[in-house]
Amino acid sequence: MLEILIFGAVTSAIYAMLAVGFTLIFGVARILNLAHGSFYALGAYGAYVLTTIFKVPLLVAAPLVVVGVALFGMAVERVLIRPMRTSQLAVLMISLAVSLVVEQALFLIFGSEYRNVPSFIDQKYVIGGVDVAGQRLLTLLVAVVSIGGLYLFIQKTRLGSAILAISQDPEAAQYMGIPSDRIFGVVMAMSAGLAALAGIMAGPFLSVQPSMHLLPIVKAFAIVVVGGLGSIPGSIVAALMLGYAETLVAYGISTSWTEIVSVAATLLMLVLRPAGFFGKRAAF
Amino acid sequence: MAVLPIVFDSRYLMGVLTVAAIYGIWSVSWDFMSGLTGRENFGHSLFIGVGAYAAGFLNTNWGANAWWSLPAGMAAAVVFALIMGIPTLRLKGPYFALAMLSGAVIMQRLMLIFWEYTGGEEGINGIEPLIRSPLYFYWFVLGMLALTVTLLGGLARSRWGLILKAIRGDEATCQAAGLNVTYYKIASLVISAAFAGMGGALYAHYQLQVSPQLFAVVTSITIITMVYVGGMGSIYGAVGGALLLTLMTELLRNFGEWRLMVYSVALILILFFLPQGLVAPTWNKIRQRLSGGQS
Amino acid sequence: MFKAPFSKRSFSKLALALSAAVLLSPAQAQQGPIKIGLSTAVQLQVGRDTQEATKMAIDEINAKGGVMGRKLSYVVADETENPEVGINAIKKLTADEKVDVIVGGYTSGVTLAQLPHISAAKTIYLGVGAASPSITAKVKQDYENYKYIFRTGPINAVHQAKGLVEWISGHLIGELGLKKIAIIGENAKWVQDLVPVLRKGAVDVGADVKMVEFFDTTTSDFSPLLSKIKSSDAQFLVVVLSHASSDVFAKQWYDSRFPIPYGGIDVKSQDGDFFDRVGGKSLSEVAVNFAVRTPLTVKTVPFFDEFKKRTGRVPVYTAFGAYDSVHAYAQAVERAKSFDTNAIIKELEKTSLPGVAGLLEYDETHDVKAGGKYMNLLFAQWQAKGERVVLWPKSLRSGSMIMPPWLTK
Repeated sequence: MLEILIFGAVTSAIYAMLAVGFTLIFGVARILNLAHGSFYALGAYGAYVLTTIFKVPLLVAAPLVVVGVALFGMAVERVLIRPMRTSQLAVLMISLAVSLVVEQALFLIFGSEYRNVPSFIDQKYVIGGVDVAGQRLLTLLVAVVSIGGLYLFIQKTRLGSAILAISQDPEAAQYMGIPSDRIFGVVMAMSAGLAALAGIMAGPFLSVQPSMHLLPIVKAFAIVVVGGLGSIPGSIVAALMLGYAETLVAYGISTSWTEIVSVAATLLMLVLRPAGFFGKRAAF
Repeated sequence: MAVLPIVFDSRYLMGVLTVAAIYGIWSVSWDFMSGLTGRENFGHSLFIGVGAYAAGFLNTNWGANAWWSLPAGMAAAVVFALIMGIPTLRLKGPYFALAMLSGAVIMQRLMLIFWEYTGGEEGINGIEPLIRSPLYFYWFVLGMLALTVTLLGGLARSRWGLILKAIRGDEATCQAAGLNVTYYKIASLVISAAFAGMGGALYAHYQLQVSPQLFAVVTSITIITMVYVGGMGSIYGAVGGALLLTLMTELLRNFGEWRLMVYSVALILILFFLPQGLVAPTWNKIRQRLSGGQS
Repeated sequence: MFKAPFSKRSFSKLALALSAAVLLSPAQAQQGPIKIGLSTAVQLQVGRDTQEATKMAIDEINAKGGVMGRKLSYVVADETENPEVGINAIKKLTADEKVDVIVGGYTSGVTLAQLPHISAAKTIYLGVGAASPSITAKVKQDYENYKYIFRTGPINAVHQAKGLVEWISGHLIGELGLKKIAIIGENAKWVQDLVPVLRKGAVDVGADVKMVEFFDTTTSDFSPLLSKIKSSDAQFLVVVLSHASSDVFAKQWYDSRFPIPYGGIDVKSQDGDFFDRVGGKSLSEVAVNFAVRTPLTVKTVPFFDEFKKRTGRVPVYTAFGAYDSVHAYAQAVERAKSFDTNAIIKELEKTSLPGVAGLLEYDETHDVKAGGKYMNLLFAQWQAKGERVVLWPKSLRSGSMIMPPWLTK
């Protein structure tokens, strides 16, 4: 029982980090970014490259990778997505294409074998009789801190208010002189950086291979649809729900079924209540 | 196109063209629904896979004659089109796309979960070829492709096509004008699925094997790319796109790993520079120039 | 709206041009060197080693004048771990490159998918990596169509199960007194063939099989499974792994300081760099190897040394098979004194040569013979600094077994 509680929390934490970034960029710029999973993958691979090939210590490598991927995210938004913004479908397609290009590039450079990302903590902790790897607990901690930090940032700073303004009413924000385009770039960077951080934290104990972007993006999308597109609290709640649902299924039935949980949840939500639980924007 | 393999006497080329033709069937079927109505279906691989697996099951587990696969594949795909389509067709563009995608992903997963019945990751092997001679099979596939293009092209040019394009333009107005929009949307999806399933069954009898890879996102994206290259909504353009892309990536066959990269990059380029596609506009221009020159 | 015949004609012209381009871009050479086609997972260690070993054998044979005066050469096609890609690889090798013989294989599911296409192309196939008995079963069922299929390695799944049972009986129970075991295996065809035989055999030799479970090859989080195993009260975890899950499993097993040692068939663990790849976390895992650098036959030590000299690493099992296959083929052709496929097949069936892992002979289903002087299962353990110590069979033991470091307190 306790195991499910702990492992469920860790799983939810990773999903939350991915979902929050995804819903943020949607809420602000109405972009359904299917390349979000690629940021996750690049985070993990970045950590692998810097630590294993360039022998950079992990504590230094991690922030470097986060910033690097954030910049990459900004570039993608600026060059590839912004020109397509008139059509949501076009944005979808192009972000999907980007994710495929990244996956193929990773495959061509690194091959399909799993790569090893080092952990921050190598110890095991025992909580109430349950063996938990230190890295997993650290991931949980990092997720809470980073999401909390992001939320505070949005609520308390000027830039944060600008972001909120744009997401609520883009036209009015424009009239008020808020530079939407620049802010999209910033939001994309934050979203990408968060995803990369998730990759760095989860890389050590989950699998690092070129197609690792696919499942996380499916789950992030599921969470965001269930929680309501554009709502950060919604994403967090939905992430918890999904994380625990998966863990329960994994322990109760078998790990093979966990993937279906998220996809089925998305499908059901879309069919029954496209706005999600907390969403303001409907899917039709 | 039919005489090409004889001219070159190459089994290899015949294989490539057979696959290109099957992709042509899939692309045309996709174009019929999504190209005309503008509701892009990201889960076309669902119909393909279902058709292929139906063929696989019938042929191996139930020992049926291979020719039953074609109608069976179509029927299976139609069933799934109804299951998936009815609840999701009222969703807006991107959400419909992703809902269909979810459907394909779920099927892929289910094939893996129930590996005891479906062969799991390694799929079903030992499917019989439909026609033993590769050449005759190729001609058969070409024939089916021609049939598909004629039927769907014909529908596209008829009142059907007009209505579907009108739906792309403004659904609400269509509804107001008294058209049963839902019926047309579902019907076009079903027709699209039927041909995709038929193509899937053909593919199963060509590869002599089916695996969950058929349901993958990549398959759907490949087809969408082919249609984009051909020109959305043009039907015949999709065939050109399929042929072009298949042959082009075969040229890079020594760099086999680059195939998917080529598709992805091609897609990006097309979206940016040639949103109307390559094949259809080019033929139109050539036609215009020639008819202009003659008059 | 548009004149169909017109556009079809222009279409055909374009198609014609492209087809010509496709065909004219290189690939044929008929007389001249004998072409060996390698169909393997190029991206993985098993694929790389298949190529290296093939190269080695080719160089040796060519240095002695080739085969009936013709030199050997090879081409590679990537079959990955996906049946569809595998089928395309075969098509490329047979229809396009027109190879004389195919060597390779890794994932049983891929090989099974390829069989009808290999048979249609009437090309001899020497398998080096896939273990499912179904592959060679066809030889007996339908000799006329499937006589082209041979397996040089590894030992098929059923024989492997028997080898595992021997180890469990002799080592785990006999020497270490560990009777309670848990068995987990991934959802791959050859594992599905192997586990039932393993379970029955283990029970027959007195093991108390606490649980048997299959898991998805794509599983990335083993916590639920590990938790189940822990509560099953097993003393040793017998694994049957072949694909990517090995890496993740080792790391998660180590990270949670799992209180049960593990070992068994772990194909990826045969890779020379496995220990480093998982950051040393496979410490104390006991894994099956088909050959190690001791004089199993006259060829073993020279092979390992030459391979190490050329590549700087220790070969993985597909290398043994590839090396032996090329030699077996060359010798069969020499004995047949002809390049007629059927004649070569007849001679291949009579093969008896010292391979890397044991005497190489094929049984009536063209499957490699196992046990005794033929190929055997060897059990080696990862110890400190990535050293591999052979624990079983006793006659080859090179050190004593260690327990996971956290259990020896």
